Amino acid sequence: MLAVQGVSRSFGGVYAVRDVTLDVADGEVCGVIGPNGAGKSTLFNLITGHLAAERGEISFLGRRVDRLAPHRRARLGMSIVFQAARVFRGMTVRENVMVGLHGRTSAGFVAAALRLPRHRRDEREIAARADAALDRVGLSEWADRPADQLPIGQQRALQLARALCARPRLLLLDEPASGLRGQERERLAELVEELRAGGLTILLVEHDVAFVTRLADRIVVLDLGRVIADGPPAEVRNDPLVLAAYLGQSA
Amino acid sequence: MMLGRVAVPLAAAVTLALPAVLDDSALAVYVLLGLAAMVTVGVSLLMGYAGQVSLGQGAFYGVGAYTAALLALNGLPPLLGLLAAPVAAAAFALVVGLPLLRLRGHHLAFATLAMQLILLSLAGQLDFTGGDIGLQAIPPFSAWSFEAGGVTAYAYLTWAGLALVMLVTRNVIASRPGRALRALATSETAAASSGIPVGRYKLAVLALSAAFAGLAGGIYCFYTGYVAPGSFPVLISIQYIVMAVVGGLGTIWGAVVGAAAITLLVQGLDRLANLPGMPSYAPGVLSYAVYALVLIAVVLFLPNGLVPAIRRLLSRERPAKTR
Ligand SMILES: Nc1ncnc2c1ncn2[C@@H]1O[C@H](COP(=O)(O)OP(=O)(O)OP(=O)(O)O)[C@@H](O)[C@H]1O
Ligand SMILES: [Mg+2]
Repeated sequence: MLAVQGVSRSFGGVYAVRDVTLDVADGEVCGVIGPNGAGKSTLFNLITGHLAAERGEISFLGRRVDRLAPHRRARLGMSIVFQAARVFRGMTVRENVMVGLHGRTSAGFVAAALRLPRHRRDEREIAARADAALDRVGLSEWADRPADQLPIGQQRALQLARALCARPRLLLLDEPASGLRGQERERLAELVEELRAGGLTILLVEHDVAFVTRLADRIVVLDLGRVIADGPPAEVRNDPLVLAAYLGQSA
Repeated sequence: MMLGRVAVPLAAAVTLALPAVLDDSALAVYVLLGLAAMVTVGVSLLMGYAGQVSLGQGAFYGVGAYTAALLALNGLPPLLGLLAAPVAAAAFALVVGLPLLRLRGHHLAFATLAMQLILLSLAGQLDFTGGDIGLQAIPPFSAWSFEAGGVTAYAYLTWAGLALVMLVTRNVIASRPGRALRALATSETAAASSGIPVGRYKLAVLALSAAFAGLAGGIYCFYTGYVAPGSFPVLISIQYIVMAVVGGLGTIWGAVVGAAAITLLVQGLDRLANLPGMPSYAPGVLSYAVYALVLIAVVLFLPNGLVPAIRRLLSRERPAKTR
């Protein structure tokens, strides 16, 4: 599904991601953990194309994507939920989610300006699918509110709905549980389990090790931009290198 | 919603009735107001909805005016010139937008300003644009058997154009491409992650706003009968931004209200400055001072502009009445 091969990226001479190799199989939930600044978000940006890799190759669904623009990778079936909430201001919650369907629809300026039948059909379908996605993350009652007035937990859910709306093949979640309270966290975990059961491939960055252990089939540990462990949760948790990295951070 | 259902027919009725009751000098102001509003709707779309700044909308206005003028002077039907004006302005925007839209914020603002200055100096130097003197004796607008004789005809033409521009803008904003524009205004990264080709959409919205300005320019050249570099000073681009901000960025009606407020204010001050006994520098000083003061006052007291403020006022009053 996704093959990351020897990918590196540095900022001002310091490597944020260094020679990372990672394979994610179809239908797998792969957790990515590591101390602050380990390079997890940078790795996600390299995969989705928001940052260019200096070295290495990235393939998605058997196709080289490392030279493709982010919107092209999105259209191939990658959806990301960013670590920092990025809801679109000046739009309602529903409209925000409708944006997620951009790559799956095609009505352009002319069709919109003239209100062509094709455009109307598209709009109806987009709204219906957005509502379904909102329902799925439990935001239905908020649909007509301005998106930027949502509490942070709901903003995260909104982004998730936007990402799911596009019917991705690969979903990248960057710390989706941070800032969520107990009940919201549980709800998110259940949703991820549901998505996994539906066969969706997921890359999950999360600091809460218990959360990742519960959801992931496999855990990759990053430290200082390198992969220091890769395996089933039970194995990775007792890895001496991993323990050292985490202890080193808290010391 | 309620407001729209009352306001739209009312505005349409007033628009249609005004040319019948206004005298010629007032009608001239009415035409200029409509043309300014047409450009300002584009500015509001570009800045308010898509978050891109342009201090060079006057250049697109000029490209439209020169295009229509040149075609008409070369014997082509004025209708063709008028249709070519927005097309040429949009094509020009696509060409200059390709490098310019890589810039953001005030870099983009300065670059668009520079673009207008370069264009003005070119128009002042080249032979086919008539140099500093410009193009004269442009025939009046005509289509089929209709010929625009007086100001009234131009008033209707202008306001029909404005209605078209507003309708297109409204339809675009509430659609898939419009959502894409509003999304990239907040975050280009998040927009791209949703599959939006950000660069292409920024170009498209610049071209659309340029087409609106170009259409206004086309009408303007037939209305005045001549165009020269002096008709499109940098101040005019700034004026469009002041109008959009005063009326309320990111509202279509705001563009019209802003254009009306500033046009009438400037006209009033012009009369004041030209009263006997006023110094000769009064008109210039007053018009610049007014842009500055109005802009500062609006930013300080009505940061969202006039139209959002009026809407809030009305929606606050209504429940009070039903009680
Ligand atoms: N755009 C950037 N410019 C400069 N340095 C950057 C940039 N993005 C990331 N870095 C640096 O790269 C390193 C890795 O950052 P990254 O955000 O990928 O870490 P992370 O594992 O996601 O951390 P966290 O758990 O805090 O989110 C950090 O040292 C960070 O300062
Ligand atoms: Mg991070």
